[in-house]
Amino acid sequence: MPLLDIQNLRTYFSTRGGTVKAVDDVSLQIERGDALGLAGESGCGKTTTALTIMNLLPSNAEVLSGKVFLNDVDLLTIDEETLRKEVRMKQLSMVFQGAMNALNPVFRVGDQIRQGILTHEDITKEAAWERVRELFSLVGINPDRAREYPHEFSGGMKQRVIIAMALSCNPDLIIADEPVTALDVIIQAQILELMRDLREKLGLSMIMITHDLSVIADTCNKTAIMYAGKIVERASSITIFKKPKHPYTQGLIANFPSVSGELKGFEPISGSPPNLISPPNGCRFHPRCPYAMGVCSKEEPETVELERGHFVSCHLMK
Amino acid sequence: MGMGRVVAKRGVYAIMLIFIMTIINFFLFRIMPGDPVAMMVSPSITAEVRQILLTKFGLDKPMHIQFIKYIQQLLQGNFGLSFTYQRPVINLVLERVPNTVLLLLSSYVITVILSIILGLIAAWRRGGKLDISFTIFGLWMHSMPIFWLGGLLLLFFSVRLGLFPVIGVSTPWLKHENIFSYMADVAHHLFIPMMTLGIGNIGGMFLITRNSLLDIFSEDYIMTAKALGLSNRTILFHNVLRNAMLPLSTIILMRLGFIIGGAVTTETVFTWPGVGLLIYNAVMQEDYPLLQGAFLIITISAVLANFLAEVIYGYLDPRVRYE
Amino acid sequence: MRSIRKFGEQYKESKLGLLGLSIFLLFVFASAFAGVLAPYPIGPTQGDRNYILKPPSSKYLLGTDELGRDMLSMILYGGKVSLTIGILATLITAIIGTLVGVTAGYFGGKTEEILMRFTDVFLVIPGLPLMIVLASLLGATFWNMILVIGIQGWTGTARVLRAQVLSLKEKLFIESARSIGASDTRIIIKHIIPNVLPLIVAQMVLRIGSSILSASSLSFLGLGDPTHMSWGMTLHYAFSVGSLFSNFYWYLIPPGVCITLVVLSFTFIGYALDQIVNPRIRER
Repeated sequence: MPLLDIQNLRTYFSTRGGTVKAVDDVSLQIERGDALGLAGESGCGKTTTALTIMNLLPSNAEVLSGKVFLNDVDLLTIDEETLRKEVRMKQLSMVFQGAMNALNPVFRVGDQIRQGILTHEDITKEAAWERVRELFSLVGINPDRAREYPHEFSGGMKQRVIIAMALSCNPDLIIADEPVTALDVIIQAQILELMRDLREKLGLSMIMITHDLSVIADTCNKTAIMYAGKIVERASSITIFKKPKHPYTQGLIANFPSVSGELKGFEPISGSPPNLISPPNGCRFHPRCPYAMGVCSKEEPETVELERGHFVSCHLMK
Repeated sequence: MGMGRVVAKRGVYAIMLIFIMTIINFFLFRIMPGDPVAMMVSPSITAEVRQILLTKFGLDKPMHIQFIKYIQQLLQGNFGLSFTYQRPVINLVLERVPNTVLLLLSSYVITVILSIILGLIAAWRRGGKLDISFTIFGLWMHSMPIFWLGGLLLLFFSVRLGLFPVIGVSTPWLKHENIFSYMADVAHHLFIPMMTLGIGNIGGMFLITRNSLLDIFSEDYIMTAKALGLSNRTILFHNVLRNAMLPLSTIILMRLGFIIGGAVTTETVFTWPGVGLLIYNAVMQEDYPLLQGAFLIITISAVLANFLAEVIYGYLDPRVRYE
Repeated sequence: MRSIRKFGEQYKESKLGLLGLSIFLLFVFASAFAGVLAPYPIGPTQGDRNYILKPPSSKYLLGTDELGRDMLSMILYGGKVSLTIGILATLITAIIGTLVGVTAGYFGGKTEEILMRFTDVFLVIPGLPLMIVLASLLGATFWNMILVIGIQGWTGTARVLRAQVLSLKEKLFIESARSIGASDTRIIIKHIIPNVLPLIVAQMVLRIGSSILSASSLSFLGLGDPTHMSWGMTLHYAFSVGSLFSNFYWYLIPPGVCITLVVLSFTFIGYALDQIVNPRIRER
């Protein structure tokens, strides 16, 4: 039984310009212990998928259809109270994009984490504070710093605090949305190493959302590639990097520099990401695809399981 | 500590402003068309008396000498003599100040509390029925003449229903055994004028409060709070309110100056013996010394209130101290 | 032209904006055709002596005042006065505010400092007391009232415009205009003004409401022009004949309702404009 099972998820936004089909029929599974990298260009629907799972969508968004099973419970149908008390933090937590502003500036960081713990566990305030200190040690921060305010931390340290916060109630699954994008390369490496260690130590499952393939290569054993609101290819990371089958994936991987390989120039994928209000007919990638055929502009491709665990959505696979 | 610097800096600025106000006040009343002597005393005097007064008040001397004399008088506490009341202006104003302060402060408390509550609910349920109704209510209060609202309330509750007194701050002929019955009497008189100003001034403050709160709601750390599993009530009253304290304090302190204007018309409607009513009478009687003195005192009070607001704000926002 | 059409489309979406616009147009229509619509003349000697301070009846739909004049006609004619005062006073406010704001923002340095200090002084002086003092010193006439209201409300506009000009200055097209040797005046007229015009218009709309309220307050206090019967003046006379205590509700209610509705219409229009023009609100 997968830990997380997303089936045919559709999340649309109503905006002034029309309906944005941000997540259009997305299906994913995550087994316990997996780290799934969800990759794609900006605006392809990665964050919306995460927010849908977390039930944190803005008011103009609507989940039209689909199911999101976490530990066999459909998160989209349970009531607010259960979601808040049983699911949030205890089963599922999130590390947000741009952690710079994710911490409330007027409260001490330790207090913010403790507030989350006390909402879900029936322990004393002192015991909760002890847990906060342990968490700080776990993520590599001096526990005494829990009394400080967010503005006293650097970017990398704030990210560690956010990670500590996400771990505080021992969740089964953590969704990390661009956790290291805003950090410089050296800090990036440190944080990614931390996340790898924590995964091993605590047996965490993770969804890592990013547009940076190198981050995925570093931390995830499985990868899903998203384009224009749809998953175009899903497989183990090794497969994606070594044997990509979808033209879009191939384009991404081709531009992935290799330190040990030969020098080659960039071959950018021509064109630009489509408008999600009126996406192209048929396969959404067809206007930019070097292998586009007649059927590509008419019919949406089905998802085919090429080999065990390797799913591709492309007419070429027939 | 930075506070000393803040007080000194704002204090100097306030003193400069007061000085400028005094200059403006002086020239305003001298430059205006009309007979300067008639302005100082009753307009109906004979030519000989006029000449005597001209010399007596030094109005035949050059302008800068008159100005110096004016400043000297002010520093001695002489704000002129009202010819309708035949008493020093400063005494008249100081007598009335407590009444105006009572009315303004009590109504302002109501305005602030209502604006925050309504603003909080409206921002939280943005776009919902409550938000729309509150916003329309706020816009409506912002558009209605406060004195008219006062008149209507007076007509309905005091005249027709007889629930409240119609004039003044206390019942003149009532003998009070103790301070409490006096306070109750004043409170009885205060209620409708206070509600008039209190509700009438909601408009602007509610809208600004709502906007500030909307800004806070769209911050990332509120989404973090939701992801933490905190209940809506906790987020609203624990987190958001703490974050809103700084902008709300700014709003509250800075808007204090705007409500002074409403006091004049409201005091007139309710015959509330405050500084506003004094100004109204001064205008009606063309008592220019009274008008000039009262106006100067009001502007100085506004500068002082502003100064106080800036100092308090400097205390609340640590960033200001280290500018 | 295209941006005007786009603006029109966006405006149409705002229910409040449309409501405000309709109410405003209704009043403009009523005021413009007051001569035709009003059932009775309203000159001070043209009242009906037999019908003093009478409540609404079939003959006088909104009752009569202390001179026997028809309330409905007074309201219709009063609209013209109140609207004119509001609009003209706001024009003065807009001109002063624009001059101060644009000059301060564009030239910067000492000029900006002096102008902003000047603005600060005006900001601190309480508005209504200042207007009262000026009106009583200058004399209570129609034009004086317009002047008095106009010269005290400009501070907000000045500040907003200065901020806008400061951010415009950063933009490259100003740099390029300067580098080809355009004079300051030319830059201001050809480049800055057209870009701040929408903001000026939005500010004006916001201020007309408060100008009308100021006018009604001043008139209510007795500083209005008796020869130009605005709604505020009508309320002044309503209070002075003791409508409060004698329950002459028909004298008290209509003028206040009209003032509220007109100011409300501008408030709604201003609100709708703000939603469109103010980028911060849009992003949320």
